[in-house]
Amino acid sequence: MTTRRRLPLGIAILLTALTVAYVPAPEESIPGTVTLREEGSPFVAFNIWVKAGSQNDPEGKEGLASLAANLLSDGGTQQHTYQEIVAKLYPMATGYGVSVDKEMTNFRGTVHTDNLEGFYDLLRNALLSPAFGESDFERVKAQTMNFLERGRRYNRDEELSKELLYWMAYQGTPYEHPEEGYVESVRSITLDDVRSFYERYYTRDAIVVGVGGGYPEGFVERVRTDFDARPEGTASNVPAPQPAAPDGLKVLIVEKQTDASAISFGFPTSLVRGGDEFYAMKLVNSWMGEHRSSFSNLYQVIREKRGMNYGNYSYIEAFPRGYTTQNRPVNAMRRSNLFEVWIRPISLTEPGNLHTRTLFATRAAMRELLVLVENGLAEDQIERTQGFLHDFSLNYGSTGSRRLAFAIDDEFYGLEGDDAYLAAIRPELAKLDKAGVDNAIRSHLGAQGMYMVFITADAEAFRDLLLSGETTPITYAGNQPPEILAEDEEISTFPIPVRPEDITIMDISEVFETGR
Amino acid sequence: MKRLLIAPVLASVVLGALAVPAFSQEEDGIFPFETRTFELDNGLKAYLVDAGAPGMLAYVSVVRTGARDEVEEGVTGFAHFFEHMMFRGTEKYPNYDGVTESFGAARNANTSQDRTFYYLVAGSEYLEQIVDLEADRFQNLSYEETEFRTEAGAVLGEYQNSAASSFSVLDRAVRERIFTAHTYRHQTIGFEADVRVMPEQYDYSRSFFERFYRPENVVLMVVGDFDFDNAEALIREHYSGWEPGYETPAVPTEPEQTEPREGAVTYQGGTLPLLTINYMAPAWNPTDRIAVATELLGGLAFGQNSDIYRKLVVEERRLQFLQGGFALSRDADFVQILCMVAEPDDVAAVKEELLAEVERFKTELVDAQKLADTKSAARYGFLMRLETPLGVANSVSRVIVNTGTLDPINDYYRTLETITPEDLREAARQVLAANGRTTVTLTQAES
Repeated sequence: MTTRRRLPLGIAILLTALTVAYVPAPEESIPGTVTLREEGSPFVAFNIWVKAGSQNDPEGKEGLASLAANLLSDGGTQQHTYQEIVAKLYPMATGYGVSVDKEMTNFRGTVHTDNLEGFYDLLRNALLSPAFGESDFERVKAQTMNFLERGRRYNRDEELSKELLYWMAYQGTPYEHPEEGYVESVRSITLDDVRSFYERYYTRDAIVVGVGGGYPEGFVERVRTDFDARPEGTASNVPAPQPAAPDGLKVLIVEKQTDASAISFGFPTSLVRGGDEFYAMKLVNSWMGEHRSSFSNLYQVIREKRGMNYGNYSYIEAFPRGYTTQNRPVNAMRRSNLFEVWIRPISLTEPGNLHTRTLFATRAAMRELLVLVENGLAEDQIERTQGFLHDFSLNYGSTGSRRLAFAIDDEFYGLEGDDAYLAAIRPELAKLDKAGVDNAIRSHLGAQGMYMVFITADAEAFRDLLLSGETTPITYAGNQPPEILAEDEEISTFPIPVRPEDITIMDISEVFETGR
Repeated sequence: MKRLLIAPVLASVVLGALAVPAFSQEEDGIFPFETRTFELDNGLKAYLVDAGAPGMLAYVSVVRTGARDEVEEGVTGFAHFFEHMMFRGTEKYPNYDGVTESFGAARNANTSQDRTFYYLVAGSEYLEQIVDLEADRFQNLSYEETEFRTEAGAVLGEYQNSAASSFSVLDRAVRERIFTAHTYRHQTIGFEADVRVMPEQYDYSRSFFERFYRPENVVLMVVGDFDFDNAEALIREHYSGWEPGYETPAVPTEPEQTEPREGAVTYQGGTLPLLTINYMAPAWNPTDRIAVATELLGGLAFGQNSDIYRKLVVEERRLQFLQGGFALSRDADFVQILCMVAEPDDVAAVKEELLAEVERFKTELVDAQKLADTKSAARYGFLMRLETPLGVANSVSRVIVNTGTLDPINDYYRTLETITPEDLREAARQVLAANGRTTVTLTQAES
């Protein structure tokens, strides 16, 4: 039986709107806005992009951009206390939040069209008339300090290992420090620091207003006019970081009481979205280590065939908090990227074999990288990955909020029309051939040096094992076919040429305590 | 939300603290989409939902088996482990991953205490291949012992992803103090000792499949943009040969708790103290006013918009956070007040404040406006999750898990709309009773 039901009075109209395919409505673009009108959508998505991020943190005040944004997002305004805001948002079942990356700060929220005006009032006030209350500041700062002193160090080793990789690779550049800052730098931040950061960077020319979904005519003009009340900016641009290619292997081992090792490694590339060979490397990376996909190569080699851990992935663009999401993050666009490999925690299977297994998995991933650089990809591998991404990329823009965020990210790189990311993926992939793909592999993945981070128990013993060059064979709970065992021989002896002076050991309690 | 604590296995499920109203065939239902329901002779139910999303669909199989059904000794974590094995292929399709790759599908699965949830999101043009592929693996799953042993290693790795977090340590401690018989005693990921011997359980895995992966225990949802007649014909063609044979597991009944319990656990890493006050609550029930009121009470009394949150988190800043996770489960389960205390010396005083707040809800009546706002939050919370086909399936899956069908959702929604301040007070009196209380603290170990 098929029925179309009537709905309780009051919500009938909004709900029927959901059954209609949304119609993107082209409109005149207003300077300082990114719009994605979808007529018929019962939702309106906001994405207020402030062109500043952790790269703008003053020295000694690392974490300021993040703390300032979080205070705006989680604090009171001149119109309402924080608790009044919470009470007003509560019946709407929504709110606004913020993400702060190296270069971007984005306030995002989605609301049902029913509640658009009430929601927008709160969001506008949060950004344009913040109270900067002492009590709100102390609360948000205390929550941040707890994250820095404890949560970041003890709750997710795998995420920490990735942050440490970026910290190593971007030494001496504005990308060096983690977005949330160091323990000591955040401790020193005052409410006056926050106010002056806001005055300096939240300026009308640095704020792009993003609105998507089923908003009414004239709405965007109104929002833009509101934000034009901010003064003009005087802050100069931060030059893009030029990270040095490492000379050989640079290794950081973090000592922590644990039964499982976190592993990350990578190196700087010149790849940026929409730039030269980006789509060729997007294909290569998808074949090699597509995030959370079981058919990619690293996953197959380390997890599927050998059952060593939960997953193994690679990246050509920053992918913060990857453990929280299957879908790729938005609004973390950077002018410099790493090629990065994430080996999920490798557990000991019997007492004493943690380090052997850790090195085996690392060797396996490094060997796959070398094989890729030497052999390139076969025609059928290219074709298969083209087919996969052709369909899979439809998932990227699954919600209005995500489609809007991708449009903001296009604006970051100046990608327009056919070059816009979601529009360009299919045609750009279709153009690729083996020669182009193999060229891209050689030019972007052929680096001789790389940064490596391990978080593991008994760091000194691990360092000694690493330096010894000893083979690190593993055993299995079941029988493995001869071809796997033969490959294991090669993996367990794969060279990791590292010099003693290129290994640093650090205790977990020192991690991100202070800048240098 | 209470379920934050078991996030390692619950990748994407939506079981919010607030009630999730959904769908029924009745005229005044809240579910907005055109829907078709049918049941095969073997007991398999299917729901087809037209949810816009041009050119896309979500294909979801809900197996009403989870950690709850792990009743034998030594096999905790098995429902989740078995979820992994379902990706190991069949004789017809030995390479499941490769086939789904060719669709460009976003596909995965997750397991909780009450169910296992499998999904693919893909272009609608792949519907016929997806039905064929999914029907085949649910009936003809085939794997060798070697593959089984290898996959057990991946589960151990998954355990290690998050086992060391303070929240995970606390959750294990809470469960072991609350449950003495019922299988909610263990986390979905299982006890570490059981996870480590999983490679030895090949024979058990086959019996697990034989007993639980049966049509009477599975509900299909196809949500998105596709032709109903075609989808129904395909499902009938590919699933009708699936033989019934579900064996209901003997899930032990938890004896009634008769006095308050206290517990304390230390944590080897750095942490501020975590304090949790838990109460045994009834099973989810769409027509029981106490059960429905209980779910509303968690957010209302201890959520971000509550009086005690304002006092302890915002004004006095004695807590880093506070939350009330009162979502009910298929069987009687605990509801939880959870907070992180800023000063270790303040834990006892915070506990007294929270207990006093519990008592206040047993005597005072909730403000009518606050109750109305809570109902509004439930309604909009439901609507806001319906933006994608997978979101639709997730939003209604709880009803399927708890009852086997979608039909009771209208009853639930009607009950929710009629909840009064007196119902909330009665729920507090019945559910937040001292005799059903278990308090557990986690503090940093002395170094």
